[in-house]
Amino acid sequence: MLFNTTQFFVFLAVVLALFYTCPRPWRRVILLAASYFFYMSWNVKFVLLLLTLTVIDYTAGIWIPRVRPERRKLLLICSLSANLGFLGFFKYYNFLTDNLVALLKLPPHSFALDIILPLGISFHTFQSMSYVVEVYRGRQEPVRNPIDYALFISFFPQLVAGPIVRAREFFADFYNWRAPSGEEILRGTLMVIFGLAKKMVLADQFARIADMYFKQPSAHPGMLAAWSGVLAFSMQIYFDFSGYTDMAIGMAQILGFHFPMNFRRPYLADSMTEFWRRWHMSLSRWLRDYLYIPLGGNRHGRLQTYRNLMLTMLLGGLWHGASWNFVVWGGYHGVLLSLERVTDLPGRKTPLLTPLRIAITFTLASLGWVFFRAADLPTSGYIIGQMFAGGASHMLWYGWQLWLIFSILVLTVLQEKLDWFERLITAPAWVYATVVASLLLSVELIGVSDVAVPFVYFQF
Amino acid sequence: MLVRLLAAPLIFFALEALIFRTGVYLPYLEPFSTAGNLQGRLGDEEKRFYAGSYEVIAVGDSRMGLRARAANQLTAETGYTFATIAIPGTTPRCWYYMLREVDPHANRYSAVIIPVNDYDDSQDGAGRLLDLNYLVPILRYSDIPEFTLSFDNWKARWLAFRGSLLKGFFFKNDFQDFLVNYKPRMERLRWDRQNGAAAAYNGDWGARNVAGLSVDWKAGKILSYPSWMDANKRQETNNILLPAFTFSDGGTYDRKWFGKIIDRYRGTRTRIIFIQLPRGPFVRPWSLWPRRGPIRGFAAEGTILLADQHAFDSVERPDLFGDAMHMNQPGAERFSVLLAREVRRLLGPPSR
Repeated sequence: MLFNTTQFFVFLAVVLALFYTCPRPWRRVILLAASYFFYMSWNVKFVLLLLTLTVIDYTAGIWIPRVRPERRKLLLICSLSANLGFLGFFKYYNFLTDNLVALLKLPPHSFALDIILPLGISFHTFQSMSYVVEVYRGRQEPVRNPIDYALFISFFPQLVAGPIVRAREFFADFYNWRAPSGEEILRGTLMVIFGLAKKMVLADQFARIADMYFKQPSAHPGMLAAWSGVLAFSMQIYFDFSGYTDMAIGMAQILGFHFPMNFRRPYLADSMTEFWRRWHMSLSRWLRDYLYIPLGGNRHGRLQTYRNLMLTMLLGGLWHGASWNFVVWGGYHGVLLSLERVTDLPGRKTPLLTPLRIAITFTLASLGWVFFRAADLPTSGYIIGQMFAGGASHMLWYGWQLWLIFSILVLTVLQEKLDWFERLITAPAWVYATVVASLLLSVELIGVSDVAVPFVYFQF
Repeated sequence: MLVRLLAAPLIFFALEALIFRTGVYLPYLEPFSTAGNLQGRLGDEEKRFYAGSYEVIAVGDSRMGLRARAANQLTAETGYTFATIAIPGTTPRCWYYMLREVDPHANRYSAVIIPVNDYDDSQDGAGRLLDLNYLVPILRYSDIPEFTLSFDNWKARWLAFRGSLLKGFFFKNDFQDFLVNYKPRMERLRWDRQNGAAAAYNGDWGARNVAGLSVDWKAGKILSYPSWMDANKRQETNNILLPAFTFSDGGTYDRKWFGKIIDRYRGTRTRIIFIQLPRGPFVRPWSLWPRRGPIRGFAAEGTILLADQHAFDSVERPDLFGDAMHMNQPGAERFSVLLAREVRRLLGPPSR
């Protein structure tokens, strides 16, 4: 049940109706049942995995403060091992064995298994691990009620692709729940519709171009074709993922929960450091708090800092998927971040040069997306070769798509400067209603609806 | 808050209706698409010079061989002027809505001609979602319940409901194609507006025929094909060995949609004439099997006129058919002349 389907909106309407009409003590059960139903609509069997991890981490959370200090670490290790073990098996088993087989020159796929990646495993394991670590660190009270904890892990708006929410953020809303104000409901509704439009009108349109190009780059040789294919993917991945998170955050807000922002106009970043402060912010925060800082962060000299940055970005890359492409993608960003630190680029701001810096940052990010999207490293190499040394060719974009992007760029810059989104919430009723109606009309007319295109990040 | 949340869908529906239920976008539909072609041909009929109160209109699918030009050459003899809105692939459900569109007050025509394969035949097209492709431009809000429920399965009903309520969903490919290919679309539209009606009126279906086609009906085998037929055409011709339709609903579908056309013209001066089309270059053995259709029942009630069942038997010849199902130009012209005379026989002389 994808967010961009009629079934999901019927499901959401039923959940909202039940949630707001039932007595308050039942609401957690309604949300939990809805979340498990949502997960089971994808695959019934994997609910057991979700349940198992929930039980393990709930139990660890309960026991960690109760046992002697020297045993706490053992419990933490058990919990983390379970999460990483499941994640490793489902996500990385075939990658590891295929590489081992290649190294030992055994027949290809000798130990390969037919493994289905459970939906959202990368997200809910990270969320669950963060809870156990926080309990271990004494920064989070253990959650006593298993239903509450199960809901924290499985809450349907963010179960499959985040944002990765901290336990204290979630439970602050949960235990002090108050009905959302009219303004919050308007904001939430607008975010859901905006997210839907981002996904169906923009991401899915650009997916057509990106899919066509990346499916067989050699069928579209030349510089212009390569750039248009790559830029189409840059657009697709941003609008797809940020559209999903907008919907998740909006739905949560309508239900009375306040999730952290996950994107803040990343393509307007004027450095890669800034880019990572604006792109998939909940993951960046997780990697910073549970990987980069524990590795030492920037506290042990320059070399160690660069090493920590590289390690964090390499693992962050690998988190996205089990292939060398993601490792290279992570490494590429690690190198760029390190270079920026060496040159102190983010600190040196010249207003006149900001547009140029933004353009360069966007180009660098787009180059990185080649590794993210291409089938393998040789294909990535071919595409990058075409981008810089390909012959004459034709654009894969239509004229109206260029106009669409130009309009989006103007809106994005205006949002950065004026925050029109927030102004819309309090604007006169007809303005708000006309914007929502126009978004719905754009979904109807330009949105891709003949097939429900899955969200890109659902595969992670 | 409530005002904003309620106003948004209302504005959306208003914008949607403005674009797709008025003349804002529909005149720009791709003229060679199913919906655009129907829209164009119905538009031509609405704009056609109204010759007087002795006009006869025909509906039908691609097998309806009425060439209005040939029939109108006999106007001096018959007293009637003929027109056709027969469109390939349309069905009785489409014909009802098409007639309503070209004759909104049910007073324009002396007669409506409805072709069928056989008076004892019936067809079950209730699940045919393709009808939506033809009808979306002309469906109204008030049609939604009946049109939606006329489909026989829930998936089709849902798609019919969505398509007839939110036409933009249905026209989105057309709309996006318009954005991408604006200039060629406008050129095609210009051509269609200038020449579409004349092309339909004067168009030549060609004289190619299926003489040389021979069938062993007992063995269920085609013995020889005309020499001009390529592999694709031969494959298509093999359909002659299959029953033309499935007959599963005992006439319910025909009774509903023919009944609605009949009811629409009940008490008006417009007569409904059913004709049995030439069955093909050959009379297939199974087309003579008795079946249960509603048409003879309508005739017995006196609500319709039935053309002579054998009025067009003389057209059922291989040299008058372009393939196993469709008449060629000489066949269609001959059929049109016979039809004009049969209509005159049934209606009698125009009473001025």
